Amino acid sequence: MGIVLGIESSCDETAAALVTTDRTILAQHIASQDEAHAPYGGVVPEIAARAHAERLAPMIEAVLADAGMSLDECDAIAATAGPGLIGGVMVGLVSAKALAMASGKPLMALNHLEGHALSPRLADASVEFPYLLLLVSGGHCQILSVEGVGKYRRLATTIDDALGEAFDKTAKILGLGFPGGPAVERLAREGDAAAVPLPRPLKGSAEPHFSFAGLKSAVLRAKESGEHRDADIAASFQQAAIDCILDRLAKAIGSAPPADTLVVAGGVASNAAIRGALETFATNRGMRFTAPPPALCTDNAAMIAWAGCERLALGHSDPLDIAARPRWPLDPDAESVRGAGVKA
Amino acid sequence: MRTLVIETATEACSIALFEDDALLGSDHRVFGRGHAEHLVPMISDLPGKGRAERICVSLGPGSFTGSRIGIAAARSLGIAWRSEVFGFPTLALVAANARTEGKRQAVAVAMNGGHGEWFVQSFDESGLPRAAHCSRTSDDAVAVMADELVAGTKASALIEARGYGTALEAHPDARLFDLLPPSLLTENLAPLYGRAPDAKVPA
Ligand SMILES: Nc1ncnc2c1ncn2[C@@H]1O[C@H](COP(=O)(O)OP(=O)(O)O)[C@@H](O)[C@H]1O
Repeated sequence: MGIVLGIESSCDETAAALVTTDRTILAQHIASQDEAHAPYGGVVPEIAARAHAERLAPMIEAVLADAGMSLDECDAIAATAGPGLIGGVMVGLVSAKALAMASGKPLMALNHLEGHALSPRLADASVEFPYLLLLVSGGHCQILSVEGVGKYRRLATTIDDALGEAFDKTAKILGLGFPGGPAVERLAREGDAAAVPLPRPLKGSAEPHFSFAGLKSAVLRAKESGEHRDADIAASFQQAAIDCILDRLAKAIGSAPPADTLVVAGGVASNAAIRGALETFATNRGMRFTAPPPALCTDNAAMIAWAGCERLALGHSDPLDIAARPRWPLDPDAESVRGAGVKA
Repeated sequence: MRTLVIETATEACSIALFEDDALLGSDHRVFGRGHAEHLVPMISDLPGKGRAERICVSLGPGSFTGSRIGIAAARSLGIAWRSEVFGFPTLALVAANARTEGKRQAVAVAMNGGHGEWFVQSFDESGLPRAAHCSRTSDDAVAVMADELVAGTKASALIEARGYGTALEAHPDARLFDLLPPSLLTENLAPLYGRAPDAKVPA
C-alpha cells in the first residue's frame, strides 16, 4: 500500500489530503475563501493567491498530524499544476516540489480535471475503465470517455457557459447569492418545473456540445416579466438543464467506445435532481450509474491525492522544474470548439 | 549551524548555503520569470541538497508571486526537514551591498515596485532600517531619499534624476546574508507585499 499527499490550490479552496492506494482518506483539510471574495462578486486571483500562501503550509502540517504521520511515510507528493488561477497553482506546486525534493519522494504535477475525472474510482473500487464521464463544475462542462489513467477523450464541451456558471448566474438573477448551485436546487424543490417555458439550447444538434448562455438569458427575461414565482423559475431552469444534459449525453454515447458505466463528477454533481435524472437515463440504457459523494465532487485535495495514487501505481512522476499551466485541456487532441474559449 | 538562504522576491533567484559564516554553496541567477520552475532544482544542486537546520527566506517587498514562491518553498522544506524557518526583509538584503569588504555605510535602497512605483527604504551604517519601507512614485523617491549611497535596481535611475551620489546597481543576493543584522530575522512568515491587491470592490 502507498500513501500520497495531495495539494489543491487552483481556485478558491485551499486543500490538503492524505490518501492510500487502497482508497482510504487518512486525513483531509479544506478551507474555502468565499468570504474573502464575496465583496468583489467573484474570485479575485491575487486575493486567492495570498490566502493560499497563508494557509497551505499549516494545513499540510495539520493533515500529517491528524494522520499521526511524518512526511517520510508518504510515497509521493501530488499537487494540482493547472488549469486554474496561476498564482494559487504556483503556491501549491512549489510547495509540493519542495516537499518532494526534501523528502526524496516522487512529485506528481497533476491536471485538476484529472482529479475530478478519476475521483469516481476513489469513491467506488468497482468503477473500471473505460467509463463515460460527465464533468460539470463552475468552470467546466464536458463529456469525456475515460479510457485509462492519462487517457481521456473529450466528446463534448460547452461553447459558452459551464453548467455550474449557469446555476450561479440563475441564482444571481433570483437574488440567491454565491455560490448559487445549492440555493437554486433548494428553491427548485418548491417549484413547478413545467411552469416557465425555457429553451433547451443545442438540443437535437448533431455535435454533442453544450450551450447555456441562451438559457440564462431566458431565465433573466422570465424574472423580469414578473409573471412567475421564483421557485417555478428555478425548477424550470433546472429541468431545462437536465433535458440538455440527457440529450447531449445520448448524442455523445453514439460517438464513444462502448462503456458500461456512466459517472458524474464536478461541483454540479452534488445536485440530487441531476443525479436522479442521470441514474434513470443510465438504467434505461442498461448502464451502471455512479457519482462520488458531494464532498468529493467539489474542489478538494483527496481527489488530487487519489490521482497521484493512480499514477504511483503506474510508476509515473514529474520533474522538479515542471511549470504550472493556467490552461491545460485533459484531452490534448480535442479540437477547439468555436466559442468555447477557456472552458474547452 | 547550517543555514539555507532563499531570495526570490525580485528578478533574482538567489540561494546560498552557509555553515555558520562560511559559504558552502550558492546559485544566483537573474531571470525575471521562472523562479517557480528553477528554485527547487537549484536548491537540490547545493551540497547535501541544501539541507539545513535553519532556513531564512526573503519576505519582500518585491514581486507578489516571487515572494510567495520563496516562502512556500521555505515553509515546505521546513516541514520536510523539521528545520526552523525565519523571514527577513528583502530591502535589508539589498542594503547589505553597502557593507561588503568591511565597509560600513548608510544607504538608501530603491527597487522596482509595481505600477511604475519604487520600493524605497533608508538604512544606517549597521544595516538597520531608519524607517519603514514604502512604495513611492519615482519623483517622490528622488525628492525624499537623501543618502549619498543608493543601492538597488533603481539606484542609477535615482542618482541620475537626483544629480548626486553613488549608485550600487544590485539585486538582493543570498550570498550576502551573513551581512544582514540578525535582529531583522522574524518568525512571522507573512509576505511583506508592500501594496494591496489590485482589486476594487464594485460600487
Ligand atoms: N447542488 C448543486 N446544484 C447545482 N450546482 C451546484 C450544486 N452544488 C454546487 N454547484 C455548482 O458547482 C460549482 C462549483 O464546483 P467546483 O467543482 O468547485 O467547480 P470549479 O472549481 O470549476 O469552480 C459552482 O458553480 C456551484 O454553483
